[in-house]
Amino acid sequence: MSGNASSIGSVAIAVLFIATAATAALAQTPTGNPERFTIKPQPYQRAEKCLPCHRRQYDELRSAVKAGYRSVSPLFNSLELAGNFVSGGLLRPVYGDSTRTNADGTPLNTNTASSQTFTHLSQVRSGFCISCHNPHLVLMGEDPNRREIPELAGVGTEFRPDEIRPLRDYHLVDVQGRQMLTPEIGGDPPPEAQPSLGAAAITCDVCHNAISQDLDRSPQRDGLANGSLELMPSLSKVGPFRFPAPVKGNFHVSSRDPERIAYIQSSNFCGSCHDVRVPGASLTHAETNLNPGSEDVTFYRLENLNTEWLTGPYASADNPFGKPIRCQDCHMSMFPYGGESTYEVGGKTITSPTPGVFATNFAAEPEGSTEYDYQLQKRPVANHYFTGVDVPIQSTEQMRARLGDDYPPVDEAGVDEHGVPKSLSQRREDLLKAAVRIDLDKTDATARPGESLMVRATAVALTGHRFPSGFSQERTAYLELTVKDDDGFLLYQSGYLVDKPHPETGEVEPDGSLDDEDLEHAQVIVDPGRKTDVYEPGTATNGHRNEVFALGPDNGPEARVFVGEPNGLVLWRNELTRIYLPGESLGRRGPDGEEFTASKPHFEETFSAAFANSVDNYRSLAPLRPTTYRYAVKLPSREELELLGVELKTPLHVHAQVNFLHFPPLFMRFLARTTGEQGPGGKDFHLVDEKLIDDFLVNVKAVAVADRTVELLDE
Amino acid sequence: MMNRGRSLLLAVSVFSLLIAAIAGGADSQSTEEKQQAAPGAGNPNYPARNPFYFEGKIDYELLGIDEPSDAWEYMQRGIHRQDDLEDDQGAVADYRRSVELNDPGNGTCQIVESVGEGFATLDPPPCMFTVRLRLGYLLLHDDPEESIRLFEEVLEIDPLRLEVSLLIAEAYVVEAEEATDDISKKAAYQNALGALDDELALTPTVDDENLSPDRANNSHVHWLRAEIYEKSEMYPQAIEALQSYLAASRWHSDVLPWRIPLAEKKIAKLQQAVGAAEAVRAPVRARTRASRN
Repeated sequence: MSGNASSIGSVAIAVLFIATAATAALAQTPTGNPERFTIKPQPYQRAEKCLPCHRRQYDELRSAVKAGYRSVSPLFNSLELAGNFVSGGLLRPVYGDSTRTNADGTPLNTNTASSQTFTHLSQVRSGFCISCHNPHLVLMGEDPNRREIPELAGVGTEFRPDEIRPLRDYHLVDVQGRQMLTPEIGGDPPPEAQPSLGAAAITCDVCHNAISQDLDRSPQRDGLANGSLELMPSLSKVGPFRFPAPVKGNFHVSSRDPERIAYIQSSNFCGSCHDVRVPGASLTHAETNLNPGSEDVTFYRLENLNTEWLTGPYASADNPFGKPIRCQDCHMSMFPYGGESTYEVGGKTITSPTPGVFATNFAAEPEGSTEYDYQLQKRPVANHYFTGVDVPIQSTEQMRARLGDDYPPVDEAGVDEHGVPKSLSQRREDLLKAAVRIDLDKTDATARPGESLMVRATAVALTGHRFPSGFSQERTAYLELTVKDDDGFLLYQSGYLVDKPHPETGEVEPDGSLDDEDLEHAQVIVDPGRKTDVYEPGTATNGHRNEVFALGPDNGPEARVFVGEPNGLVLWRNELTRIYLPGESLGRRGPDGEEFTASKPHFEETFSAAFANSVDNYRSLAPLRPTTYRYAVKLPSREELELLGVELKTPLHVHAQVNFLHFPPLFMRFLARTTGEQGPGGKDFHLVDEKLIDDFLVNVKAVAVADRTVELLDE
Repeated sequence: MMNRGRSLLLAVSVFSLLIAAIAGGADSQSTEEKQQAAPGAGNPNYPARNPFYFEGKIDYELLGIDEPSDAWEYMQRGIHRQDDLEDDQGAVADYRRSVELNDPGNGTCQIVESVGEGFATLDPPPCMFTVRLRLGYLLLHDDPEESIRLFEEVLEIDPLRLEVSLLIAEAYVVEAEEATDDISKKAAYQNALGALDDELALTPTVDDENLSPDRANNSHVHWLRAEIYEKSEMYPQAIEALQSYLAASRWHSDVLPWRIPLAEKKIAKLQQAVGAAEAVRAPVRARTRASRN
């Protein structure tokens, strides 16, 4: 009897389980985007409109690279231009009134931001960069009267690389608010020019008009990547508060939609742009868009930040803080100025800044912001610095010429009312110092001349994503390591820099600075292309291939990953790879003057996202996963020391430090050349040059440090 | 994280079994599709092969596998054992299994020579180079002959791959140093020098002063050349190789920076040796000429 009851009970439980599971499965079945609601439309506003009531947020946002700087950035503008050189202008947006067609004859009149779903790669390419950097601007472009970025007159073989303008040329208006252009393509703005709406890029009205994730435009229907969110410019602004105060004069209304509020507070909201999937037809490591009808829209992962978070320990409670830590908890909070926590990672005790600590303040000006003079309460508030690892690489004067006279300098003095440094460069440095720890604890305790000393450097990233992240194929974090004897005699160095000439960009003699030098794991110069009488898309004449490529003496990345050698540079930069297929030219010549041509598939590091057909996103350091890197340091033998006239003095000193390089100088030099007179445009677009590299490429050194001594034995 | 992954896997497995038991094979097509699902499907950290394997290192636990089931997974576990656990023996075992499962000799992989029809889903899959490089490196001192064979397979897969010939040269040097007779030693050194020439041919310097100041590169290749020449008592060649090493280090220094002043000292010492040899040879030549006359 009991057995029967038990069986019946089991069946009942199983049925219940299946029913529950089926319901859950149905609930998880993608059903498309929710119905759009309607509310009084309101055109996108300038941030200045929000300033009277939200001064603090305005000031914070003003010193974030997200707003303003990013749209006039010489790097962003030159990279977008370089991508257009190689694709034939395909990265510029088309709009609903376009007469352009896809290869199969269907109309191409939607872009990355405006497509409801993607059926053709060309839709993703169209406006690809600017649809995250300035999504509302692309959407506004559907109205020809409000269009800031025009459709190009010709693309493909009709593209004119000498006539395309950098995007920032369009971000200027006169005193009446009418668009004005720089007199010269890529030239300085006229003195009377003012910043356009687009110049400010991501400001209040972009995020606070967000409605929800847009699964139909998300490559894997997860709401991530390539601007896959729904924006609706309306009076209804969403913030983090479930019970917002009524706004004075209904200047806007504050959404009480719990789903909308939850969305803007989630990491998914950030992930709508902070995963970047680059479309490509001939990728050798392609992933496929999962949306019905989007099967041909293949891509590879460039920025993979949100996926890193999602598959890492901070997306769950399985981390030292016992709860999910969202993007906002580090990049919109008091972090790293909100106190410290001590915890264990892999048996090591770590003390680092605490995420998720928010200042308490008014969300709007306490006087005059609310209807009926409703009295605002102080609440935990997010800051809008969005501090990351970037700083502008332009002078304050240059930024003010395009962004307004009040644009703050990156090294602004003082702290804000919450005690956070106003200086963007200071915040960036402090954030980097919170990102990683190293030790040398597992290093050999003794060493002998003529033998190998095994140095073991263990690094752990404390970030919510991998370190570095974002544009992690260019952002460069690495380990500098030295071994010296007690007299300072240098026995080993890795992660070192050498001052050298760069004749390709006019530095004919070493300039005394190391900030503009590349690491010595590879010697690379990227082909900038050249102007031709008749333009052809592709890399044959538009650059992007390595015209010089040799592995250097500190070759760690290749040797460690592919060979397993315990030697050379530890580089946490992800790698863009080009897999040359049989018959393809590598873009450089051999001793016989003939071009190297691949007879079999050949893998090589590339520095161009537009040229890569594969990517290795596992070079960066995984979060909360201590990783040990070995260095088999060969010490000189007694005979060699005798010939050198050196006597080593014990103990040996091992020093390791983590450094952060803003961008690889070789990448900057490629951009300087391809957007300079040598490049396909045959003219200087005034974006990047050697002086800019020398003046503004400032690296952050020693964000984490470790030291250890090793006894040197005689015999 | 592994525990969480395993628990999830267990839960999914139990659920799948339950469903399968009740559904009773009602939909054979979906079962077949499930069977054909690519390994790691749905895991963003498990790169699909299309057509090439991911030739890199992935944090092993992110793959979410308990036991390797194919050549690529064996390679990944081998990398984990070698790099993270310092278990070289375990790594060698995994690499050997990986190579067995990715062997052009038994038809489990192919050397890709053209891009034709069906390229996106190459069958058999392409031969991998990483596993051969790693296995060859671990065997370099114990079995240099096997190392050389593996490295040569890599050059079959990708003849333009850099530093493979340097590894071949290093293996020949090991052979030379273990040789018990002069003829074998000389032959091994000659083979090493040939391999180093092959390496240099792949990365010539750019003879364009508007582009690069480098007039030599591959400092490690030149250093090894110099060592071989010195051991072979070919001093003029050793001097030339050391000079090339210095030229290659001019703008790039060296991870072992003491080798730069050492090279200068060695050149001076070798020049003395060459001078002394010349001094000895000169009277002999004079006597030979005199006797001919």
